Amino acid sequence: MDTEAPIREVIEEIKESGGDAVKYCYQCGKCDSVCPWNRVINFSMRKLIREATFGFPEIDREEVWRCTTCGKCPQQCPRDVKQIEDMVALRRIANAYGVTPAFLKPVRSASASLAAEGNPFGEERAKRADWAEGLSVKPFTEGMEILYFPCCFLSYDGQLKKVAQATAGILNQAGVDFGILGAGESCCGESIRKTGHEALFKQLARENIKSFIDHGVKKILVSSPHCYHAFKNDYAGFKVNFEVVHISQYLGELINEGRLKISKEYHKKVTYHDPCYLGRHNGIYDAPRGVLKRIPGLELQEMEESRENSLCCGMGGGRIWIDTKMSDRFSNLRIKEAGGLGAEVLVTACPYCLTALEDSRLGLNYEDVIQVKEITEIIQEVIR
Amino acid sequence: MEYCPVKYPDQFNQAISKNKAIHIYYSQAIPLITYIDESCLYLKEKKCRICEAVCKNNAIDFNQTAEKVEIKAGAIVLAPGFEPFDPRLREDYGYGKFANVVTSMDYERLLCATGPYEGEVLRSSDLKHPHKIAWIQCVGSRQVTPGGSSYCSAVCCTYTQKQVILTKDHDAAAECAVFHNDIRSYGKDFERFYQRAESLPGVRFIRSYVSVVRENPETKSVTIRYATTADGVKEEEFDMVVLSVGLNPPADFKDLADKFKIELNGHGFCQTDPVNPVETSRPGIFISGAFQGPVDIPESVFSASGAGSRCGELLTARRGDLARERVYPPERDASGEEPRIGVFVCHCGANIGRIVNVPEAVEYCKTLPNVVHAQEQLFSCATNCAGEITDMIKEKGLNRVIVAACSPRTLEALFRDTLREAGLNQYYYEMANIREHCSWVHPKEKEEATRKAKDLIRMSVARSRHLEPLMEIELPVNKAALVVGGGIAGMTCALSIAGQGHEVHLVEKETELGGTARRIHDTLEGLDVQAYLRDLIKKVYRHPLIHVYTGAAISDAAGYVGNFVTVVRSEGRVFEIKHGATVIAVGADIYTPAEYLYGEDERVMTHLDLEERIAKGDAKVTNAASVVMIQCVGCRNEDRNYCSRICCSESIKNALKLKAINPGTDVYILFRDIRTYGYNEDYYREAAGKEVRFIRYEPHDPPLVEAVAEGGKSILKVTATDYVLGKKLELDADIIALAAAIIPAAGARELENLFKVGLNPDGFFKEAHVKLRPVEFAAEGVYLCGIAHYPKLIKETVSQAYGAAGRVLTLLSSDTVTASGSICAVDENKCISCGACIAACKYGAIEFRETPLGRKAAVNPVLCKGDGLCNAKCPTGAIQLKHFTDDEILSQIDAALLEEESAERDQAVV
Amino acid sequence: MNIKVPAVTGMERAKERHAKSLAGANFGDVLVAGGGISGIQASLDLANAGFKVYLVEKGPAIGGHMAQLDKTFPTNDCSM
Repeated sequence: MDTEAPIREVIEEIKESGGDAVKYCYQCGKCDSVCPWNRVINFSMRKLIREATFGFPEIDREEVWRCTTCGKCPQQCPRDVKQIEDMVALRRIANAYGVTPAFLKPVRSASASLAAEGNPFGEERAKRADWAEGLSVKPFTEGMEILYFPCCFLSYDGQLKKVAQATAGILNQAGVDFGILGAGESCCGESIRKTGHEALFKQLARENIKSFIDHGVKKILVSSPHCYHAFKNDYAGFKVNFEVVHISQYLGELINEGRLKISKEYHKKVTYHDPCYLGRHNGIYDAPRGVLKRIPGLELQEMEESRENSLCCGMGGGRIWIDTKMSDRFSNLRIKEAGGLGAEVLVTACPYCLTALEDSRLGLNYEDVIQVKEITEIIQEVIR
Repeated sequence: MEYCPVKYPDQFNQAISKNKAIHIYYSQAIPLITYIDESCLYLKEKKCRICEAVCKNNAIDFNQTAEKVEIKAGAIVLAPGFEPFDPRLREDYGYGKFANVVTSMDYERLLCATGPYEGEVLRSSDLKHPHKIAWIQCVGSRQVTPGGSSYCSAVCCTYTQKQVILTKDHDAAAECAVFHNDIRSYGKDFERFYQRAESLPGVRFIRSYVSVVRENPETKSVTIRYATTADGVKEEEFDMVVLSVGLNPPADFKDLADKFKIELNGHGFCQTDPVNPVETSRPGIFISGAFQGPVDIPESVFSASGAGSRCGELLTARRGDLARERVYPPERDASGEEPRIGVFVCHCGANIGRIVNVPEAVEYCKTLPNVVHAQEQLFSCATNCAGEITDMIKEKGLNRVIVAACSPRTLEALFRDTLREAGLNQYYYEMANIREHCSWVHPKEKEEATRKAKDLIRMSVARSRHLEPLMEIELPVNKAALVVGGGIAGMTCALSIAGQGHEVHLVEKETELGGTARRIHDTLEGLDVQAYLRDLIKKVYRHPLIHVYTGAAISDAAGYVGNFVTVVRSEGRVFEIKHGATVIAVGADIYTPAEYLYGEDERVMTHLDLEERIAKGDAKVTNAASVVMIQCVGCRNEDRNYCSRICCSESIKNALKLKAINPGTDVYILFRDIRTYGYNEDYYREAAGKEVRFIRYEPHDPPLVEAVAEGGKSILKVTATDYVLGKKLELDADIIALAAAIIPAAGARELENLFKVGLNPDGFFKEAHVKLRPVEFAAEGVYLCGIAHYPKLIKETVSQAYGAAGRVLTLLSSDTVTASGSICAVDENKCISCGACIAACKYGAIEFRETPLGRKAAVNPVLCKGDGLCNAKCPTGAIQLKHFTDDEILSQIDAALLEEESAERDQAVV
Repeated sequence: MNIKVPAVTGMERAKERHAKSLAGANFGDVLVAGGGISGIQASLDLANAGFKVYLVEKGPAIGGHMAQLDKTFPTNDCSM
């Protein structure tokens, strides 16, 4: 067994980087018992925290980068150890030391692209609004009802553009006076922040905040729970406060106000997957379910792991850029759980979840068993 | 009850089984009367009224309305207790969702003979016995998560161990797993109890909190997931999961506080005086029990006596004004009558009835000579059954009564009282123990158990024929008290007794008052102990009724309850003190470590040394860059198999002090289990927040302490394994503080002999009953408080000291005490004046006296304690213990053999 | 509500008068609220020490939580 003495300087560094709460840990193991990683591999958050307590973090190992920031362990931690902040602190230190293991390569290129173009894909900033071509989507001007902020994935990703397009279609149908910022929009920065790139996050946040202010934005509609979280919680650190609404909430409002009329029935068994950043992090559980329940014919079933207890898709905390072995993906468990329930459609409301679940669906050969859809895709089908 | 159409979840049985809207709360309830609860159809919907129509006594009155009664009182004691934590509030435990997840209160009812399945532990999903059971500790406690409590509920670890032991009694093959994070067996005899539970086959204690994962849809078994340091996270399925729920404040705490205008603490319990847990923020209102925060039963009991004593101090001038004497009917002289024996065989719920065939035993009784009445009873100790016994005595003219039930230890007094109520001499009562001696020890052999029960009853019947009526003697009570020990316990107790108008002699062996507290400077709550102590000492010296003797030793103690005579030597004088009550409050000592270089290296000290040096501002300590504290030094081991209770809190207190002086000091606490029970858990977290680092070690791998020469300097190095890291940690220490055990006071053995009191296996003074008589000895008139009883915190000592004072007052406020009628007497014709009995008597109760027959042994009835030692020594059988005479005992033994002979005869015939 | 009693002891007549004046009007020495083990013990001690006690319990029977327990640790004695 190795013998080591606590390393005071590292302990201080972790503290300064935001990992101060590790000191509260009394090693009860609750975090390990709830962590989704332990459903697929052996992983110990407790050990990571303990290592941090004595200044022995192994910042070059993937363990430090595994946490998907799903929020399950901090939700149940009896000592309020703030595991997400702790892991982010360790990643900040790793970045500061220039630790560059191979698995972090995609994170590096994402951050370079974010710094240059405001999106993680290496795409041109100028093409950010291309998804809206031919949809009569206006640029946002002051006085408009709401700004639609579709996020990088819905703007650029070939598979996900359709969600932004469906959203624009619904808004138009409901007669909402909305606009987009296009090239004036940058990534919200939520995920890159979780990989420890604090300066980059701040740059992106400032760009967005400036853009919002310059355009006179008051209310923002988002499709991604990660954008929601960033604007609602992270940007509060910049002393600004915009009204933020998630599409699942906004759809409910439009239906309730009679602006959006559901004209068709949808005869399918549906189950809803709570995205971590919508549910656990922001407490929005009922809004999406409320929308689905308004659709005649739709049979909503609940998975065992739902609401506060929802299972993470595996893509949060920057894991969207880090390769996870196909066999180690939580989204596989989710697809199986939904399939086991007999649901024909697995609905969610997050681009990351959508990506992960669709990957797993194909990887597991569940094409004939279940479909994965974003909530707007279903609404789009029942309003025409 | 039979006719009531409502079936409503039985609240007493935690809603596991059903009861009627009109029902008796439980079979031993006091008062034992039916009542109607809120589920009644008439009360809810104005329907039904069936019960009113069928009641022959017209006892049901639906027109009753709540009555407001105004009571004027001089003092108030609030004892609202606690509310068990409701795990429904937190979805993560699956309670209310999964059928076989139960709370510990539910499980308590499942274990109980009066429970929903009559003492069978069954799963509500399929009414089958669970074989694999998990307990989850700290449910609702030790957490800062919303909905939980940050404090430790203090009782759950040990009640869980009890439930494990009882589960193994019910089903020896049961597999039990307890999931915890620190086992807190910090109370008296708890450590042994923990070992007992842990050593049972099939019992595992696993250090991990868990998550309740899922219910198996078919079997309804529950899967939980837990973390191990060696093998990572594991999933395991259990037939039943018990949530060890914590103690919350009483449900209506806000309302209560408003009504009585008292303050609450941040947790919703009562805000009490920092050193006196029975004192509220409002004069004249006291509290007792769990309203002060989570406490176990003994503390509830002595805090009640303590609150009583505080009331007494306030109201002593009118003591007795409103009291009424209890009056018994005149006693009937049955000495000339032929024995007419009544036998009452108790089912004890199912405790006896499930094993012993009670109706068969009753029929058997009727065949025994002189038995004129025999019947069965569900609970003989319930008020209705006692009433039945009184009625039968009168109706059938019984002059001997036998209750075949449990041990006489707890209930003999009650049944003797029942006889007095019926006008019969109480010594005509006899008890056959068919529970502890029969049904509990032979749960698997029902037939044999029934035969043994019959044997036991037959023996009692034989004995009871010879019973004689005895008279008890009333003795005067000397109104003064002697308190031995002038620490916080002794002084507090003395002041409370003196405050109620009684003279107190306070004897201290040191030249100064104060005891162990003289070495303590602060409490965790921030009390200045030295200032408190100075004030207390001043009050003691100033009290006109307290006589203080310092530098004193006790050389002899004689006498008996109400009339003790103690010889004290103080300051060169020897004198006799006469007193009615004695309080032992001699405190305890600190172990001198032989471990970890103590005594070899001056940087190694005890926790109390450290505290003193911090208080003195010793720069070596306050400027230390690194302080390592090692817990459990000299106890929780083979030599001293107990936990010293206070050391975790003491070390955390020192750590917080050091951090307050110099936040940069590295403080490490090496522990086995952190036992900051109750509110002190908050200080544990606070210390962690100040970066005090806690490292757990196992007894088989204790920390290694070495003095190493490095760069021309000697450096203390401490090496300890960290199980989560899977590494050894090496810590440099400028100071090492050892949490040395609290050990029994040096003079404890001597006092044990002088006052005829007992010590427990660890050498601490042994109370009469752990739960119900925690501040008195089995020897009447002798009381106990403070750390002489067991290590405890100052506030606990104060509470116990008031408790002892309260008990002392129940004695000193009477003018007389009653001495047992069961004492020895000498048949002068048989006495050969050998003096063997005089030598045998521990109480000096026998002496030679000149009689017309010559010099004969004679018994002083007030000194005799009826232990019968002299009987065994007497070569001629001249000295006999009344109520246990040779006739009585021999007839009982003969009766035991009688059946064996007849059984043998029966076999011979076959 | 702290009732002051004439401090002069030995004034038997005054004492008697005082007792009489209190006896009729629901006057007790001490009110104990809560009939669990602690409330019961407090009541018994106070009564045995010569005080008149009113014991008030909200439930249908006294005994509190302890009455619901099967046995008690660490002796495993019966709770009743």
